[in-house]
Amino acid sequence: MKIIIKPIIALALCLMLVACNNSESTDTTEKPAKKENNRYPGKKVYYHSMDGTPTTADPVRAATVYTNFLVLNEFDTLYSYKYLKRPYELKTNLATAMPQVSDDGLTYTITIKKGVKFHDNKAFEGGKGREVLASDFVYSLKRHFDKKFKSQGAWLFSGRIVGLDDWKKQGSDYSQTIQGLQALDDYTIQIKLIEPYPQLIYTLAMGFTALVPHEAVEFYGDEFGSNPVGSGPFILQSFNQEKAIYFANPDFRQEPLDLAFEGYEESIHEFTGIKELKGKSPPFIDVMEVHFIKESSSRWNSFTKGNEIQFTTVPKEQSNSVIMTKKPLKLYPQITDNYHHMYMVEAGFVYSGFDMINPTFGNNGNPEHDAKNKALRCAIRKGFNWDQRNRAFYFGLGTVFPGVITPAVMEFDPTMSKDAISLDIEGAKILLKEANWNADNLPELKYHTSGNVTNRLFYEQFRGFLKKIGYPVNKIKYNPYPSFGAFNKALKNGKTPFFSLAWGLDYPDAENTLQLFYGPNKSPGSNNFNYQNPQFDALFEKAKIMQPSHERTVLYQELNQMVIDDCVVISGLSRNKIYLWHHDVIMYPDREILGGFFARYVDVKE
Amino acid sequence: MDILKFAVRKLFGGIPLILGVTFISFLLMVYFGPDLTWEKLGKNPTQQDIMEVRHELGYDQPFVKRYGNYLKQLVTLDFGNSQMTDKKVSTILKETMPVSLHLIIPGFILGNIIAVALALFAAYHRGTWLDKLIMTGSVVGMSISFLIVIIAFQLLFCSSFGLDLFPVRGWEVYNNEGNIIWSQYFKYVTVPTLATVFVALGYNTRFYRAVLVEEMTKDHVRTARAFGHKPASILFKSVLKNAMVPITTRIMFSIPLVVVSGSLLIESYFGIPGVGKITYDAIVAGDQNILKAIVGLTAVLFVIVLLLTDILYRVFDPRVELK
Repeated sequence: MKIIIKPIIALALCLMLVACNNSESTDTTEKPAKKENNRYPGKKVYYHSMDGTPTTADPVRAATVYTNFLVLNEFDTLYSYKYLKRPYELKTNLATAMPQVSDDGLTYTITIKKGVKFHDNKAFEGGKGREVLASDFVYSLKRHFDKKFKSQGAWLFSGRIVGLDDWKKQGSDYSQTIQGLQALDDYTIQIKLIEPYPQLIYTLAMGFTALVPHEAVEFYGDEFGSNPVGSGPFILQSFNQEKAIYFANPDFRQEPLDLAFEGYEESIHEFTGIKELKGKSPPFIDVMEVHFIKESSSRWNSFTKGNEIQFTTVPKEQSNSVIMTKKPLKLYPQITDNYHHMYMVEAGFVYSGFDMINPTFGNNGNPEHDAKNKALRCAIRKGFNWDQRNRAFYFGLGTVFPGVITPAVMEFDPTMSKDAISLDIEGAKILLKEANWNADNLPELKYHTSGNVTNRLFYEQFRGFLKKIGYPVNKIKYNPYPSFGAFNKALKNGKTPFFSLAWGLDYPDAENTLQLFYGPNKSPGSNNFNYQNPQFDALFEKAKIMQPSHERTVLYQELNQMVIDDCVVISGLSRNKIYLWHHDVIMYPDREILGGFFARYVDVKE
Repeated sequence: MDILKFAVRKLFGGIPLILGVTFISFLLMVYFGPDLTWEKLGKNPTQQDIMEVRHELGYDQPFVKRYGNYLKQLVTLDFGNSQMTDKKVSTILKETMPVSLHLIIPGFILGNIIAVALALFAAYHRGTWLDKLIMTGSVVGMSISFLIVIIAFQLLFCSSFGLDLFPVRGWEVYNNEGNIIWSQYFKYVTVPTLATVFVALGYNTRFYRAVLVEEMTKDHVRTARAFGHKPASILFKSVLKNAMVPITTRIMFSIPLVVVSGSLLIESYFGIPGVGKITYDAIVAGDQNILKAIVGLTAVLFVIVLLLTDILYRVFDPRVELK
């Protein structure tokens, strides 16, 4: 028996050791194998990956980064962002120029390029794509206000455009003209606003406002989202839960890449090889496969195999084998020798917050109670150890900042006081004592969040933080929800006195995060804190209609300070992501504000 | 003719089962399942938006009416569109079920055939070190999580850190006409099959061995031995054939799950667009139209499997009457 068993065990151990040993040392010194290109002979193919799955490619539901990626490559938007310029800067896409805005800021006139065609599709007469017209934009925006299309982006325009909300109330009749949304001629769009909305131009660069042809929407009906027809740089060939396949649009307009205009800087972008593309018109690849891979080990294996996906973010469990030093960030030579990498802060942040109309931690109108609860909220915030959170969960690479104006926007003030994010255990204890809080009368704190392993770990860590300020651990409970939808339901129904969330910026303007505290946006709106501060609201109303200026930035920062002073939120941290891609791919990937716009500029060395 | 009558009777008799399964599952979906409203809303919804989404999802209709619609959908096999994606449920199932079948069948067949062979071998050598070796192997297979097996096999056979023999992900097995390219098929199906067989062997072998050992202690086997029949003849004609009733039951009852549910973990980790992942996503998100189709079809398949199992019982054991 021993004679037979021993070789078997030895063989098994050898195989396991080979696998495990290599995985730990990230032996990626071998050059990645060349992708077999049997499926697309003679074509230049780029294999992209994403860590989530889009459910549709319909612009009206482009609410996630995954859907947005699909939409921005299939369809055209009026504006987009400069490929390499940071902070983000808008540029024209389908529009010929930046909008003409009337002096009162209420009327936007935009002309679009002539001769741009929708992709050939059987939805059109004779199968040939027709010209994109201004009326297509009007139609596309109207869809958000037509119940049957289940828009997730209508909130960006609701109460903003003259007559649009009424059009919906009157039954969404497409033959009716809307005063504030018209095609003046085939190439001119006019938008009239109820009040100034400086962020409108950003919305015109979002997937939500991509132009769709009514013929295709009518032809495919409810299945338009899986049979999208646009005029963008790529044409979606197939799309399922595992991947999307795009072919380049052969008729895409010729717009040579102007590196200087796009924000190219030799010192930052030279390593990418983008310089080679100067003067060429995108798209540069023939085929793009986008793989949706949630399982990080599978994504990593596929990426490091060399002949499968060519782009990935670094999974948490691989951080020790990828990151050599964190400050400054350096990756192991095995990684840098084989892959390009970049590192960027997300356009969003993670935070925890209090429901301010729930008397557990919020207000009930009694000044004594409200002051006592404010002390409790501030004490909890003082006890929060952002440094430890950052190290334990974000490779220590996250950017911790006070308040809700994130580092991704122009209005971010790096010189702002760090008190709101500094650990101050003694200060917290003093606050609790002064407000007569003690172990007996401290309220039960339920940590409301989506139920998953990471959130459970967040909770355990948070409980540890609070223990240090004297909060009894038996009063801190984990309250998980089986899905984000269930959590969101509880949140919107005011059943979460304390919650943890993340917010992704829709556009690079601090208004997008400050509106989270605007009184009229209370639940079920985006103000999950149910923060009601007349001073804040008045100032926000003043700031939100202002064009970008120093004066507006000052107002934004005042608003930010109010939120900090009231201890409404424990914030925040913007996660930093490391992107890796194969050396044979020329690109500067960015899935944040730029979204899917970068894909048209991707090239693959042959 | 008897079989036909039996089949018709059995199918009609299956209707209460289908009604029961669909009713209980729908009850659970409606009252305990995820509320899709909150996944479909925009970032800054109003009460009006919430009402509209609930109406669109049919949440504002009475339960009885919704259940009636479900039965109608089941009869017409038209489950409408998926509530999360823009595809028809029928299109989704048509696209994903063949993929899952192609993925799972080799592992299912091999897992059962090898398990029966090992069980026969172990039962024949009952109590010896060979029996113990096989049973130990079975326990190991049962003890290791399927997830770990998948990750380990992927690392070992597919990744550049291991033997690098097979693709990590994908399912490029059909040509433009939708026909299987066999060389590609073997390339993509091998590692998932190995993982499936590794795990299935443990459970199956233990079960089949127990059944076979019991059969081997029966009088007719002892009599056959006494008459000097060859061991192979006894094993296959007297033991295996008589043990086929429980073996058939186990195999047949696995079929609906294999056909409809696929294998979530395999599909997720190997990037295979099968029905398992669709089902899992539908459960998590609360996509009731997909769930209704999956549950309903599984129930119907169970009824058919019950019928076939009864017929097969008679094939293996003529004493069984089709009543």
